Amino acid sequence: MISHELTSWSIFIFFMLATLTGLGGILGRRPALQRAGCILATVAFLLQTTSFFLGFHKSFEGGLSAGAYLQIFAWFTGLVGLVLWFKLKQRTALIFAVPLCAALFAMSLPYMEQTIVLPASLRSSFYVLHIAFLFISLSLMAVSFIVSCLFLFLERRIKSKQRIKGFMEDMPALSVLDSINKVCILTSFPFYTIGILSGLIRNKPVYGATFSGDPKEIVSLIIWALLAFVFHNRLSASWAGKKPALTMICIFLLSLFSLFVVNTLMDTHHTFISH
Amino acid sequence: MDTSIFLVGLNHRTANVDIRERFALANHCSQELWAIPCSNNIRENIILSTCNRVEVVASGNTKTVDELLEDWARARNVSVDELKPYVYTYSHEEAIRHLFLVASSLDSMVVGEPQILGQLKKAYKQAASAKKTGPILNRLLHKAFSVAKRVRTETQVASNAVSISYAAVELAKRIFGDLSQHKAMLIGAGEMAELAAKHLLHFGIEELFVANRTFSRAQTLAEEFSARALPFESINETLPKVDIIITSTGSTDPIIRARNIVGVLRERKNRPMFFIDIAVPRDVDPDVNGIDNVYLYDIDDLKEIVEENLSSRKDEAHKAKKIVEDEVATYTQWLKSLEVQPTIVKLIDRHERIAHEELEHTLRHLDTSRLSAQSDPKAVKEELQNILEPMLQAIVHKINHEPLMYLKGESTHLGSIERINTIRSVFGLK
Repeated sequence: MISHELTSWSIFIFFMLATLTGLGGILGRRPALQRAGCILATVAFLLQTTSFFLGFHKSFEGGLSAGAYLQIFAWFTGLVGLVLWFKLKQRTALIFAVPLCAALFAMSLPYMEQTIVLPASLRSSFYVLHIAFLFISLSLMAVSFIVSCLFLFLERRIKSKQRIKGFMEDMPALSVLDSINKVCILTSFPFYTIGILSGLIRNKPVYGATFSGDPKEIVSLIIWALLAFVFHNRLSASWAGKKPALTMICIFLLSLFSLFVVNTLMDTHHTFISH
Repeated sequence: MDTSIFLVGLNHRTANVDIRERFALANHCSQELWAIPCSNNIRENIILSTCNRVEVVASGNTKTVDELLEDWARARNVSVDELKPYVYTYSHEEAIRHLFLVASSLDSMVVGEPQILGQLKKAYKQAASAKKTGPILNRLLHKAFSVAKRVRTETQVASNAVSISYAAVELAKRIFGDLSQHKAMLIGAGEMAELAAKHLLHFGIEELFVANRTFSRAQTLAEEFSARALPFESINETLPKVDIIITSTGSTDPIIRARNIVGVLRERKNRPMFFIDIAVPRDVDPDVNGIDNVYLYDIDDLKEIVEENLSSRKDEAHKAKKIVEDEVATYTQWLKSLEVQPTIVKLIDRHERIAHEELEHTLRHLDTSRLSAQSDPKAVKEELQNILEPMLQAIVHKINHEPLMYLKGESTHLGSIERINTIRSVFGLK
């Protein structure tokens, strides 16, 4: 069994180094530094993957901690960034995704010992499916959020005839950013749907009804509806560029609200007792 | 070793195109036909002859410049007096600086243009193959290439478009990225629009359509660009197929209106469109820019970009000139070391020769039997001191002979104060 404290800090340091190197490379317009940032991010991701194989989850007594969940979210975000880097040859997406991984790790560190105790009725493969698919979808939304912000910023400059200078000159073209956004939208929706469905199916035996009117369920369904809307419009090609970018920003911000506000401040059956 | 560098030449600032044509030198000929033959006065030379400049860089002595001008005038069948008014001459450090500025494109008509470095490399290659270069120019030219590389990587002097047509294509790349999967349409003809089309083709545009009110003109242009000619009336039905539209017609009313583009965009499934309107009066309704996924740049927008780029290039040129100054200093130092180094070697040789001669003289007159007869170490030491002391005195006298002659003023016309100061500083006397 491995020490999650040691691995968390080591991975966090690599993500931080990757963030500093990658963003430094972008701002300083140094491709070599950008590449180094991507390599450091890969090392951090591989370290985290190795820690999973070595029994990261077993190092927590009585279930995963709140910090561990945040780290799993960071892992999925890193995975999405790496896939985009390898498949679409777009290191910018990875470089901008890495600070999010580093931030999630930084947020996770104080909560590594705060174990989230699941009720016995929820301990099933449905729960794993529910969490894994929602996290993959959230990670895709996170990358889409980053790409959308970049798209809107650059698009505004081109539309308003402002100069594209400095690090902006090295940013991907609008069409490329829009394509990445499209990939994220088209993949995140099915994952989110399966994640939500697996939760709803499990609701009946656990809480007595498929839809119990829980605030988390309401917010999640709003997110799903918005995601379905943007998914449909992208698939039917009636939307491209600015509109899906703006919608994805709203969806991701709503997801963050759901994750950090609804889960912690509202009375919902997603607020599990933690020690 | 003669290490002086000279540069004679004329460029777009000193001579107009007729004059430049008249005095152009071929830099692509064989050793025998080379315009500037090497001689005692011209040890090495390189001819750089482009549409904007004719320059000869040479290493030689004080007579080099005159001989260069004579050879140049002879090669063009003119007199030196005819040539001289247009020619600038640089020597030593100034020549090195000028060459570095030329290589870095800081002396070009459009600062930062990339062609000049390639032309200089070609000129050097040809001079080298005609055996007109030697250690000085080889080193100088390699240095010039590395300076140009430094300037390009450490400054933004060569970045950003400085022509309207290129600025338009750069913008297209910002919107579409790889242009090889996009189509363009040229509506109307005009120098700038045609240039933009050329740039698009250079960046591998997938397909180019040409439409003109006069169909035969469209056909001629299409042939020139390996494009497809279209009748002017079919513009609207072609719009959904093309991503980049360059317009430059003489129409007094807009030929592309915002209300039409909304439908076109729907047909295109919202794929972005980029309109480059170079016409005055404008061909594209300005409201088009307000539609999502449609971008419109007119001649004024493009001009603004070019002007801003030109001024930023000028700012960068200041930074670049500092780099050139650093490199000139480095190269000049190396040149000076070529003059100093032989002197150092000769000085050390002279002193070593004096020491060896005295040693040999001493050994020749050494009575070894007297030395071996001594059994007392103290006596051996005294005997050795008796032998070595005269040798050392002789060495010191011989080494100091020339400096003393100099000090006494027998070998120089310098004043006594200067001589004394020189000797004091050379030998570190306080």
